[in-house]
Amino acid sequence: MDLSVLERVNWLQQQQMVSPDFFEILGSDGREELKRVESYLGNNNDEMQGFRHYETIDGCISRTSSFQMEQVKNNEENRVIALQPKRKTEGKTEKIENKKKKIKTEDETESSMKGKSNMSNSETSSEIQKRDYIHVRARRGEATDRHSLAERARREKLSKKMKCLQDIVPGCNKVTGKAGMLDEIINYVQSLQQQVEFLSMKLSVLNPELEFHINELSTKQACFTDLPEAVSKQPMMVDASSFPLQQHGSLDYSLINSNQTTILSSKDQTSSSWEIHSQCLYNNLRTDSVSSFFSHK
Amino acid sequence: MERQMINKKKRVFSFEPTKLPPSEVFTRKYISHLVPALKKLNMGKSSPQINQLTVKREVDKALALSAQEFAWSRFLLQKLSSSNNPTTTTSSSSIQTQILERSNDEDGEIEEKLKELQKLLPGGEEMNVEEILTEIGNYIKCLELQTSALKSIVQDAT
Repeated sequence: MDLSVLERVNWLQQQQMVSPDFFEILGSDGREELKRVESYLGNNNDEMQGFRHYETIDGCISRTSSFQMEQVKNNEENRVIALQPKRKTEGKTEKIENKKKKIKTEDETESSMKGKSNMSNSETSSEIQKRDYIHVRARRGEATDRHSLAERARREKLSKKMKCLQDIVPGCNKVTGKAGMLDEIINYVQSLQQQVEFLSMKLSVLNPELEFHINELSTKQACFTDLPEAVSKQPMMVDASSFPLQQHGSLDYSLINSNQTTILSSKDQTSSSWEIHSQCLYNNLRTDSVSSFFSHK
Repeated sequence: MERQMINKKKRVFSFEPTKLPPSEVFTRKYISHLVPALKKLNMGKSSPQINQLTVKREVDKALALSAQEFAWSRFLLQKLSSSNNPTTTTSSSSIQTQILERSNDEDGEIEEKLKELQKLLPGGEEMNVEEILTEIGNYIKCLELQTSALKSIVQDAT
C-alpha cells in the first residue's frame, strides 16, 4: 500500500481503467504535478496519503469515463468509510462546495483535452484545492456508495440529453424544468405528426391528378432548393453546436466532419448550420443508394 | 435542363462520395420510397377512403425505410407489417418500471409525461427513459424532414 501515485496510475492503466488519453492529458507536467502533490501531503501517514492521491485521480478520471471507476471505487469502499469522520471534522462547508464546483469545471476542461498550457493552469489551481479539500467524487451530504454514484451519473446523462432536446425542439429555451420541457416536446411531436397526417391526406386527394414523371424531377429540385425555405419557415435549431450526446459514447451516432461544405450551394447560412446540427444525429451515410438513385433516372 | 442540373450534381457528388449531409440522404431515400409507392397506388385507383389510409401507410412506411438506423423505425415497420395482416399482434406489454422512480408530485407529473411521450414514439413502450430521450431526438428530426418533403411534393401537385 505504499505505491506512489504514478505507480498507482500505471496499475490503473494495466487494469484498463485509465484510458491512455489520461496520460496524454497529464503529459510530463502532469506527472511532475502529481509528484509535487505527493510530497506536499507528506505530513500524513503513508496510507492516507496514498489513498488521497488515489481519490484525486479518481476524481479526474470520473469525469472522462463515467463507469470505469465503479470497480476501482469498490476497492476503496472501506477506506471511504474510514475517512468519512475525517471529512466531517473539516468544517469548511461552503468553501468545500465551491471548490467542488471548481474541481468539477476543471475536470471538465481536462476531459475536453485542451492544450498543455490549459492543463498546467488547471492543475496548479487544483493543487491548491487539494490542500484543503481532497474528496472530489461525492458532494457534501451525499452518500458515497456505488448505487448513489451510479444514480447520479445516470441523472447527469439524462439532463444532458434533455439539453440536447432543448436545442432541437423550438421554444424549449424559455421553459425551464423537466416537466415543462417534456410538455413542449410532446406538443411538438404531436404537431409534427398532425402535419404529416394532414399532408398525407392532401396527397391522397391530389394523388390521381399527379403526373409523377415531372413530379419526381421537380421534387428532387424542390428538396434541394426547398430545404432552406422550409428551415426558415420553421424556426428550428440554428446553432452549429455539435450534439453533446456524442461525448459519452453511449449512443451510436458517429460525429460526421462538421467542416464539410455542402455541395449544393443554394443553401444559405441557416440551413447549413442546421445540417451540421442534424449531421450529428446520423451514422453511416449510405451513398450507394444515392448514386444508384441517380443512375436510374 | 433539369436532367443536366441533376447530372451536374451527380458529377459533383462523385468527387466527395462519402460526404453527404444526412438530411439530404434521408430526404432522398424518403422520396425514393414514397414516390414509386404513390405511383403504384395511382395505377390501382381504389376508392378515395381506402386511398387515404393507404397513402398514410405508405407515408409512414417510407419514413421507416428511410431511417433504418434508428430503433423506432424498426418498431414502425413492425407495426405497419402487422397492420397489413388482419390478425392483430399484441404489443409486448412491458411495464416501464424504470420510469416509476419516485413518488413526489412533481416527479409524478414527469412520469406521466414520459408515458405520453412513450405512446407518441413508435416502439416507445419497450424503451427505457434514456433510450426514449435519444430516439425522440432523431424521430423529431426525421418527422421534420418528412414534412418538408411532403410539402414540396404537394406544392408541386398544386
